[in-house]
Amino acid sequence: MKMKRLRLAIAALSLITTAVVVQTNAEERVAKAGDAKVTQDAAHAAQPKSDHWSYQPIRKPSIPQVAHKEWVRTNVDAFIAEQLEAKGLSPSPDASKETLVRRLSLDLLGLIPDPAVVKAFVEDSSPDAYEKLVERFLASPQYGERQARKWLDLARYADSSGFQNDNDRLNMWRYRDYVINAFNDDKPYDRFIQEQIAGDELFPGDEQALIATGFMAQYPDNSNSRDMVQRHYQIVTDITDTVGEVILGQTFECARCHDHKFDPISQKDYYSLQSFFSNISVSDNIPVSQPTPWDAAYTKAAREYEEATREINAKIDAVIDLDREEALKYHKERYLTDTREAIFKPESEWTALDRWINHRLGNVTGRGSLINYFEERARSVDPEFHSDWHAEKLAEIEALQGELRAFNNLRPAAELGSNKITAMTELGYKDAPPTYVLFGGDHERPLEEVQPAFPAALTGAQPEIPDLDFSSGRRAALAKWLTSADNPLTARVYVNRIWDQYFGRGIVETVSDFGKAGTKPSNQALLDYLAARFIESGWSVKELHREIVLSSVYRQSSAERPEIVAADPENRLLGVFPRRRLEAEQIRDSLLAASGKLNPEVGGPSVFPPLPKTGRSGADSRGQNNMWRVSQDESLHNRRSLYVFTRRSLPYPLLDVFNMASPQEAHSKREITTTPLQALTLINSEIIYDWSRALAGRVINESGLDEDANFDQLYQILFARLPSDEEREVLKNFLDAQEQLIRERSHNGAEEIALPTGTNVAQLNSFRASAFVDLVHTVANSNEAIYRY
Amino acid sequence: MKFAHTRRSFLHKFAIGTGGLVTSTYLPGGGIISGVFANDAPLAPKEPHFVPKAKTVIWLHQAGAPSTLDLFDYKPELIRLHGTGVPESFLQGIKTSTQGGVTKLIATNRTWKQYGESGAWFSDLLPNLAQHADDIAFIKSSVTIGATHDISILKLNTSSLNPGRPSLGAWVQYALGSANPNLPAFVVLYDDTREPRGGVTNWSSGFLPAVYQGTPFRPEGSPILHIDNPELLSRAQQRQALDLLKKLNEQHAAAYPSDTELRSRSESYELAYRMQETAPEAVDLSQESEATRELYGLNNERSRRYGEQLLRARRLAERGVRFIQIVSGRTDVAGEMEDWDAHVNIEENHGKHAATVDKPIAGLLTDLKQRGLLDQTLVVWTSEFGRSSWSESGNGRDHNPWGYTQWLAGGGVKAGYTHGGTDEIGLQAIKGTEVDTYDLQATVLHQLGLDYKRVIFRNQGRSERPTQTYGRVVQEIIT
Repeated sequence: MKMKRLRLAIAALSLITTAVVVQTNAEERVAKAGDAKVTQDAAHAAQPKSDHWSYQPIRKPSIPQVAHKEWVRTNVDAFIAEQLEAKGLSPSPDASKETLVRRLSLDLLGLIPDPAVVKAFVEDSSPDAYEKLVERFLASPQYGERQARKWLDLARYADSSGFQNDNDRLNMWRYRDYVINAFNDDKPYDRFIQEQIAGDELFPGDEQALIATGFMAQYPDNSNSRDMVQRHYQIVTDITDTVGEVILGQTFECARCHDHKFDPISQKDYYSLQSFFSNISVSDNIPVSQPTPWDAAYTKAAREYEEATREINAKIDAVIDLDREEALKYHKERYLTDTREAIFKPESEWTALDRWINHRLGNVTGRGSLINYFEERARSVDPEFHSDWHAEKLAEIEALQGELRAFNNLRPAAELGSNKITAMTELGYKDAPPTYVLFGGDHERPLEEVQPAFPAALTGAQPEIPDLDFSSGRRAALAKWLTSADNPLTARVYVNRIWDQYFGRGIVETVSDFGKAGTKPSNQALLDYLAARFIESGWSVKELHREIVLSSVYRQSSAERPEIVAADPENRLLGVFPRRRLEAEQIRDSLLAASGKLNPEVGGPSVFPPLPKTGRSGADSRGQNNMWRVSQDESLHNRRSLYVFTRRSLPYPLLDVFNMASPQEAHSKREITTTPLQALTLINSEIIYDWSRALAGRVINESGLDEDANFDQLYQILFARLPSDEEREVLKNFLDAQEQLIRERSHNGAEEIALPTGTNVAQLNSFRASAFVDLVHTVANSNEAIYRY
Repeated sequence: MKFAHTRRSFLHKFAIGTGGLVTSTYLPGGGIISGVFANDAPLAPKEPHFVPKAKTVIWLHQAGAPSTLDLFDYKPELIRLHGTGVPESFLQGIKTSTQGGVTKLIATNRTWKQYGESGAWFSDLLPNLAQHADDIAFIKSSVTIGATHDISILKLNTSSLNPGRPSLGAWVQYALGSANPNLPAFVVLYDDTREPRGGVTNWSSGFLPAVYQGTPFRPEGSPILHIDNPELLSRAQQRQALDLLKKLNEQHAAAYPSDTELRSRSESYELAYRMQETAPEAVDLSQESEATRELYGLNNERSRRYGEQLLRARRLAERGVRFIQIVSGRTDVAGEMEDWDAHVNIEENHGKHAATVDKPIAGLLTDLKQRGLLDQTLVVWTSEFGRSSWSESGNGRDHNPWGYTQWLAGGGVKAGYTHGGTDEIGLQAIKGTEVDTYDLQATVLHQLGLDYKRVIFRNQGRSERPTQTYGRVVQEIIT
């Protein structure tokens, strides 16, 4: 029996090379269940039980024959043209080169292009000028930064734990950098997934693969929870749901409470999937074996602090040692009934779940937990519990803590990061806590026990769990299946996300739900073509981007066409290129780039740029309580937005207002809303106003004292084009009126005026120059600056 | 399925729009304000499911969890058993910590009296609120989940034990839109020098579009971030700059005649310009009379700041803000800044906190009544949980999610009514009368004219509702 199952599984694995079956008959392009032309045995093993479209194998469709032959640049175009032609519509002509370079730069790099890049491209008349530009951008490290941000949205990435305490997670930037590097190195997507789900099991000894498991460690957590049994369940739930949504495009959590009549995923399927993750624990203190330059800086600072405070710390520990056992016991008593049982059990009797709980106890118990005992006994008025001796010792501890605080200026700043790794592993044990179907999703009401299994609706394949001596091997089996060609969802879901990035709407609109409740694909042949190509290319993400951005559909003009508005008002068929408001990071990064202040450094610990000032005191109340320690090194204030510290309780205001991702759970899609708070931010933020002053200075430096040349340069920087005559006139009139106003204001009160920065202001007419600052600030606020066309 | 928007559809909808329904509303302080709403804009006013009893919710979150055993839930048996162990029979069915022991019951130094026609009990900590006994509907059998503040606060605000779901105020804003385009419809006020812990998690829009997120108003100075123009950019300069912006945007939009999003963005700057006046005015207390200031406790240093927040709340309610969440702050207890979380020193802690909130809350109820606003304003006094009947320290109380008191007033709830109760020592709610946070949320939505089961948002194919699949409307307490 066992042999037979093994053979079937091997047969199923051999499908990796055969499941992408090229079909030539156009009518069969959208395959139905049962059309499988694959080896019967293998097909049987992997056959999905459900006939839901997205669970069926991917077939590479043939390329449609279309009338607009000359328009077809890549195969993608043929699929688009076919649908347009069916409605009697034709695609749009190419956008201008200026528009294209700005569009491509924002899409691939997340930034507006530098005027020099625009100029070089516009003047390059060679037939492959655009292709060269695409290659140049794909090779830029900024490509990895932009694509990483998209993935971090899905990974619910944050530098803090969330909940009320919202503790720092100072190792997480390594995971962020891992993601950036993966995209820049064009790490195959299948490997990328394997490392994040089971890097520890599949690639032992590979430090990057270990860091990759940080994907699973991004769950929000509250270290002070008194119910660790519940925490275990919630953490496993978070990871299962995230993997389901992000990689498989399935909202499995619907099945957590009960079966749904029309949903092919059962409650048993759901918990079987949870059991793959049942044994993983987080470790935050794994030493780095291959130090980066940042680690060296941190280690040096940490050592200095440690040496300076070693003696005091030893004294504090010595006081605690006087009653350490009791203090620890007291701390353990704070946990609730079943957690407490696990904690007080001798190690020899630990179950796998007890082991998980005790490991967590170690993670969340610090010196403060022990000092708390001295405080409680000192403060208590209960004659049996109160103790003068503890009060005395507490006074000693507090005095020593006071001494310690004198060295606070030596503490490594948060912007230095850490020299440790956070990873999810099974701590060297192969036995996993049992997983049960839970009545109503309530972990206190277990029903039958389940074993790791893939959802039967999706596949008949069985998990092939390797026999490892340090881990259960469960996630290795899951990761292999997720990235095997047996699995039709992984590739479909990812190519659809990339399509959504460019066109603002996925081929499947519900980008994280390819299940029964999700929308049907608007063009399944195109989706399957992209997915099949993606797998054929060895899961190359860069190749996927290339395929799309080289197409004619991507290069189309976004100019409105009445016949498209009439026939396809939502532009679902993509007869014109969809304009789109920039995302939060694109807005901040582009304005920073325009100002000339952008610090282009790639990677490293997260940074704390200043918060907006509020109130009479000028302080920001949210900066208190150590939640936001502004980076001392000012050059860090101007890093790209994906390096801004992601604090779950305090999203960075300039980004938050423009719909940045919420890191509480996988964020599948950036919403676009237009609010007056956004307008207030862009027009009133002192930070942005300062950038406008710097941009005004840059324009003057780069184009001299001629106003027309200034307008040209400003428009080149922000819009990659020159202003029209009408625009020039409007700008000129504004300068005259604004200069007049500033002059009057200044004469009335002789207050300070805003001048361009970074340039020699002595050469300028200061009222006119101040008016120019306002002009620059206004143009930077305009729709064209905040949209991509 | 009135509210069943897909997330996708928001791509093409905006907070404000043009060419839609034009509303003119008389608003105090602002005169006639004409707001331009698009019918399909996310903040356009929307019809409720049925005739609402309340237009506004004032949600008074007592952060840190007051001991309602020392405020409303009079337990002679607890007083009698003070200093003795907890009889085992009372502990059935609950999971407790054993830290410091759960054995010693404690009664605090209170005197108790009945007030009003209803004869509701109040302790000596709330002499002013006691005068409103006949305005209040008590829920004395509240229950929730969780033993730590963060989890239970999340559940109170978002109906979930994990972050990621929208808070109740966000749902209300989503379901009803905004009644005043010049102010956010969901405002958070707090009585502290820093934002409530957990920050945005408490007023998050979760998976709803970010436009529904609560807007925190700072307790002092400029209420909203970026409401003041940059120091070196005068208002007159800004006006000319906005005129230029309008021209540039118009020229640019000419190529996209049917693109309403571009025009809304242009319009949002005019709205922003007006908000620079309307938002500070909405919370400017300088025009309030001396009698009103006295009513809210503004002349007493202990209650001044909290009173200011409640007075701001009334002004916001008058201006059409739908959901106003006020989080109580910390005060100095035995040398440390503490909220209501009195594990120790409960006498001092509750004495100071009660003195902070008692007069302002009573003043708010009186003021709303005098202005004829109490009928349409639902005041909710709530907390993440209550406090235990025993003391861990000898002079404080631990957390209690098994039985505690919350109350509502105005907005169509039964005045002078009490629902449910706790056992003889005030530990667990009487079986069959429990009211969970889900039920509270469902009831609040009901008073706003919303069926909590029909407030639906399609999130990635999933139909999401405010209380997930839980909760019921507590019919017993509504008229």
